[in-house]
Amino acid sequence: MMKKIDKYYPIIPVLVAYAVLLGYGLVNPGKWQLVSQLAFYCTLGQAFNLFMGMTGYVDFGYVAFMGVGTYGMAVSIYHLYDKGLGLWIVVIGLVLGALFATLLSLAVGAVALRLRGAYFAIATIGVNEGFRYLVEGARIWNGSEGMIFTRHMKKAMGRETAMALSTFWADILMFGVAILAAALTLVYMRNKVGYALTALREDEDAAKVMGINVTKYKIIAFITSAAMAGLLGATAWALKLNYVYPADVFEIHYTVEAIIIVLLGGAGTLLGPIVGGLIYGISKYYLSIVLPGFQLLIFAPIIIGIIVLFPEGTVGVLKKRLMGTPLQKYVI
Amino acid sequence: MLLEQLSGNLLQGLVLGAVYGMATMGLSLIFGVLQVVNVGHGAFIMVGSFTALMMFQGMGIPPVFAIPVAMLIGMGLGMLFYYGAMKPLVSPSGSGIRKMSPKVLGMAGGGFVGMLILMWIGSGLFKLNVAIYIFVGIIFIYGFFLYIYGGRRQDKAPELATLLVTFSLGVILEEVVKQIFTSESRGYNWDIGKLDVGITVFPYPKLLAAFGSMMIAILLYLWFKKTRAGMAMRSVVEDDVGARVCGVDVDWQYALSFSLGIGLTVTSGVLLTMFIPVGINPYMGGPYTLKAFVIAVLGGLASPYAAFFGGVVFGLLENGSYTLFANIPGVEPFAMTRFFSFVMLLVILLIRPTGLLRAK
Repeated sequence: MMKKIDKYYPIIPVLVAYAVLLGYGLVNPGKWQLVSQLAFYCTLGQAFNLFMGMTGYVDFGYVAFMGVGTYGMAVSIYHLYDKGLGLWIVVIGLVLGALFATLLSLAVGAVALRLRGAYFAIATIGVNEGFRYLVEGARIWNGSEGMIFTRHMKKAMGRETAMALSTFWADILMFGVAILAAALTLVYMRNKVGYALTALREDEDAAKVMGINVTKYKIIAFITSAAMAGLLGATAWALKLNYVYPADVFEIHYTVEAIIIVLLGGAGTLLGPIVGGLIYGISKYYLSIVLPGFQLLIFAPIIIGIIVLFPEGTVGVLKKRLMGTPLQKYVI
Repeated sequence: MLLEQLSGNLLQGLVLGAVYGMATMGLSLIFGVLQVVNVGHGAFIMVGSFTALMMFQGMGIPPVFAIPVAMLIGMGLGMLFYYGAMKPLVSPSGSGIRKMSPKVLGMAGGGFVGMLILMWIGSGLFKLNVAIYIFVGIIFIYGFFLYIYGGRRQDKAPELATLLVTFSLGVILEEVVKQIFTSESRGYNWDIGKLDVGITVFPYPKLLAAFGSMMIAILLYLWFKKTRAGMAMRSVVEDDVGARVCGVDVDWQYALSFSLGIGLTVTSGVLLTMFIPVGINPYMGGPYTLKAFVIAVLGGLASPYAAFFGGVVFGLLENGSYTLFANIPGVEPFAMTRFFSFVMLLVILLIRPTGLLRAK
């Protein structure tokens, strides 16, 4: 039988991968932009995989959670900058970002998680677009004009700190979110939640008949995934860019990127989003140098190819190959 | 004053709603028969709009005559995409390309060649670059892989797979069109006079579009109810296993309804251009995809005629709510109208997912 500590071995390759990425970025300052972009994709994949990979439901409105997370940080900086809180603003912003995302996910989950398959996808697309147009239409948080808070950040914590925060520490915080999301995925996988969700993914009705409270576990995964997205939005977008526009942060494109990453790596695996994020990020970076403007044209047929030919993704194939070898316990 | 404005807008909404209904019938047909939601719906509408634009600007042919051309292109694209990507997912019994019959190859090839000819004509007007070669190259490489690996899957693919595949098909179309025409907005003006009814003014092209979509809806209805082919398709909607037992070629029905659905969608793109004087661009489809979802859910996701009535209802609601929001100070009426339609979508999904027109 598996020993208690053995259960959590697969976190080691995750940590190694992020450490290598971070180390590469620190050694080559010129490539820091690429590294932070790769980390963003990996984190996006990790957070998205928590829900899509484990339940098999496709949330086409996922970026909405990142959007409200961004707004959480933005609202905190925009309204509290003159209260003399210093760096606590960032902490409050992170909490607010996660909180907003959680609240939205509760509202969405209450409606959408009653639905299945196609209806769920339609409802979640609707939520993302609906929320965007509510922000624009009712002029919540400045409406379509968005918020620009570079000045506020400098005033709140001084010029040097603000600069360091948006160029370096935002990315480090993002690495933290990535590792947190990976750890949560592993904990869920190795506990009751994961087993229940696997049963649900294979056959929802059968799982229900077995006495599994599928709604409860779906909501747990949904909220966790949304909160991670909120933190990602707060760090990777609000802290790093210092502005937020509804048209940018509710762009469905990011949801699609998340889906591609998870599928490339393998849905429902722990390492999948990292592998997928690295493949996607690196190839997108070099494609944009070699063939600018053609990235989507090349990626769209690749998605179809993966779904039709290798539905289990890179890590899925790798897992099959490593079955029975000593490496097996590190790769899930 | 408000009442007059409202009634005028509602009349406009009725005309627009007929075209919305037409634009949704393809979505409902595909969902009804294949249980696949076409998330790339808007991209096919965009293809229709570009067909109308190219025929009008390149050859001076009025959009009315673009309707049959668009239908053919749409059906060809549908066949190509069905056998290239959808078939291994929805109909696992055999591989995709290996089982392509000469009939199918002819249709798909015809549609594709038609599109290439249109692009060649269009290239006199717009820029044509390597995109098309890359696109064709990708299709060939992909077809080769599918030929070797295809048909391994034994079971029906999960919904996730079909959603992503249709989404990617839409992205491919959008990107190819973007490479050729760039992403700027274009438009054309087909001016053949207008009809003044007192409270509002209808340009004739709009009325023609509404009339055309009504005719197509009626034809589709008759085809479904009166012909043997239509009956075969209805039998697949009822029960695909039962239909197979009774000797219906279910695979062919899948292919036919997918291509018919795409054909209807592309045609509706031609009709929609009458309502957007400027605004034809590769990414114009997005809002229509979302509207089509609302409409399809409003009418009942699986039935094309219910979708048509859903479209009319949606047109009325959209224009009515726009008038009301425009009179509330401090809000942006355009965005709020969109928001309203999504609230509607969620409410209907929650209380009556089978649609307003259908019994539970």
